[in-house]
Amino acid sequence: MRESYLKILQYITGIGIFFLVGLHLLISHLSSGDPTEWSSVSRRAASAGWLTIYILILIFGIYHGMHGVRGLILELSLPNKAVRVLNWAIVFIGLAIFGYAVSIPIHAF
Amino acid sequence: MEKLTFKVQRYDPDKDKKPYIQNFTIPFKHGMTVLDGLIYIKENLDNTLSFRSSCRMGICGSCGMLINKLPMLACHTPIEELKKDTIEVRPLPNFPIIKDLIPDLTPLFEKHKSIKPYLIQDTEEVEKPTAEFLQAQGQLEEFVQFAYCVKCGLCMAACPTVATDKHFLGPQPLAQAYRYSADRRDAGAKERFKQTDTPHGLWLCHLAGACSEACPKGVDPALAIQLLKRATLADSFRLTKKKPQPSVAPSPEQKKPKIAVPEFTIKKPAAKS
Repeated sequence: MRESYLKILQYITGIGIFFLVGLHLLISHLSSGDPTEWSSVSRRAASAGWLTIYILILIFGIYHGMHGVRGLILELSLPNKAVRVLNWAIVFIGLAIFGYAVSIPIHAF
Repeated sequence: MEKLTFKVQRYDPDKDKKPYIQNFTIPFKHGMTVLDGLIYIKENLDNTLSFRSSCRMGICGSCGMLINKLPMLACHTPIEELKKDTIEVRPLPNFPIIKDLIPDLTPLFEKHKSIKPYLIQDTEEVEKPTAEFLQAQGQLEEFVQFAYCVKCGLCMAACPTVATDKHFLGPQPLAQAYRYSADRRDAGAKERFKQTDTPHGLWLCHLAGACSEACPKGVDPALAIQLLKRATLADSFRLTKKKPQPSVAPSPEQKKPKIAVPEFTIKKPAAKS
């Protein structure tokens, strides 16, 4: 896969995180009551809209973060073979984090 | 300022375990460059000092060194401009040292070669050339500043990413990849993207801009890398328009003079009587 495809996804997820986290802050923290109240948490957990937003933030955040970590590790003069190992390690770790993290809001829903 | 102290890094891989600094005191002359100082040391104080130089006028790019912690051409650096009477001279960083102030520029040339730094055209005209390809002034200006590169390696020495990742292509090859890809006479951009759009390619550039600061020829490699990123993204999403075939200059037989030569200026052979 061309590096530019990964990079453009990095930009898209960065912009996505900015807007979705902004939306979360605006709705939960700035326009309604205490967002940590039990009733408020349970209302959000039962909402399909909020579930979608949280899963999208999770996907964008994991991609953006894991791609950033890959970029940092790449600068350690890794040979091509090690780069392939790194790519697969990043994919597996990302999927593992996603699998665990996505189960929480789905379970609550 | 009558005397100058040169702190020169010495290292002979056959004798020394690690580099060390040797001090030399030399007389100062108005208009002297760092290279003049090194030549004075070699001719009068220590003829074992090794450094590379050739043209003495910033054209060949041989005398790149780390002068007072900045990569510069020794021949292009007047001592008066440094405003110090102690001058520290070391070999360019990010390259292996051959001896004293001579860096091994092989990694630079190998990376430069990998991006195919020549015009690629798959046309009949290239196989059997009849005349030169034509190029408009505006087309030349799209890349001409990047063509001034003398391959001195100062940008590679200044680059913080080259310092950490020896596989990173670096500013010089990336700028040259853009220089040839932007040329209207070239059709090899896709071949170059295979080299530059890789994990150790152009996306590792952090845009520190140290390369553009260091370049003694006024080339802006950081700008070239940004333009190459734009061209790469356009190519990835198939937004690049196919370049038209470059036109070829007419042969001398086909050319007509712009102004007709007046008849009376043409010497005619004298009529035989």
